[in-house]
Amino acid sequence: MMASKLLLQRRLFRFLQLSPYSLCSFSSSSSIHGSPFHSVKATEISSLSTSSRNFCSQKSNLVDQFHGPAPIDYSSLLQEGDFHRLAESTIHNLQEKFEDYGDSIDLDGFDIDYGNDVLTVKLGELGTYVLNKQTPNRQLWLSSPLSGPSRFDWDQDTKAWIYRRNKAKLYKILEDELEQLCGKTIVLS
Amino acid sequence: MLRIAGCAKKLVGTASFETQVPATRVLSRFYHERVVDHYDNPRNVGSFDKNDPTVGTGLVGAPACGDVMKLQIRVDEKTGKITDARFKTFGCGSAIASSSVATEWVKGKLMEEVVTIKNTEIAKHLSLPPVKLHCSMLAEDAIKAAVKDYLAKRGSATAAGTGEKSATA
Repeated sequence: MMASKLLLQRRLFRFLQLSPYSLCSFSSSSSIHGSPFHSVKATEISSLSTSSRNFCSQKSNLVDQFHGPAPIDYSSLLQEGDFHRLAESTIHNLQEKFEDYGDSIDLDGFDIDYGNDVLTVKLGELGTYVLNKQTPNRQLWLSSPLSGPSRFDWDQDTKAWIYRRNKAKLYKILEDELEQLCGKTIVLS
Repeated sequence: MLRIAGCAKKLVGTASFETQVPATRVLSRFYHERVVDHYDNPRNVGSFDKNDPTVGTGLVGAPACGDVMKLQIRVDEKTGKITDARFKTFGCGSAIASSSVATEWVKGKLMEEVVTIKNTEIAKHLSLPPVKLHCSMLAEDAIKAAVKDYLAKRGSATAAGTGEKSATA
């Protein structure tokens, strides 16, 4: 049962990689391995897509997984339900921390808004942060007035949201930038 | 037209961001005039033959995420300069404008130069609001993907010519 599912996933992986119309995701993963699974084709293949899509999140495991009938480490796959849970808990945590932070600093035009899974933090004249879920990619997307757009994937090993292009952690980026902008430290973890 | 259909769909999609905003803030949500200009008068819409050896094609994004951009460049083999560019984008007005700007900016430049085009420059040029910065990143990625594709094609063509195997990017 396990072996046949693995075989099907292997075929799927090969199909998606070789498809001339496979789309490269604009996610932070620049590797070819990563991209096909974030494409529309992945979303069309319902139940399998969830698990096969997440092989690409664990780039180092990818080659291992497809060498022979090795058991799949299901604990490392991010299912959609888990993604929503993790993403929402992160966003809510940040919302609370930002609210406390806003109360503690005296900033004109400080405002927080949360709606439709989008967290908007206005720092008056200093700029606006927007954080939202990007469910098809299992990512959190951040828009920062300092560092622009970035996309974060959940890393099971470090239990953190990581921007693959520069290995930066979401919380660390926000902590550094807020301190830089507002002059006061914030601890988000 | 696909572009209009795509844009209309996305405009409907983006409306959900605006329902939470009080009426006093609506004005700041209008598209900047440059974005409207690129939407009304998009530059360089179209396609090249992707099998043409002088053409590099960058395809980025995913419909599930709401934006797909195809950006193509025609490169002069001898000089490495981009002589022409085309784009087709499915997505919001900001995505269309970002890719339209990208095709304008790459023309006449060397490939080494265009890969240094930053999403922040595109976003600044179009005065994109925070939620739309991701569109400019997509355009930056599309440029890089097109250059990468051209170089990969040239790499395999050269290798095939000399009878050697090459590792494609």
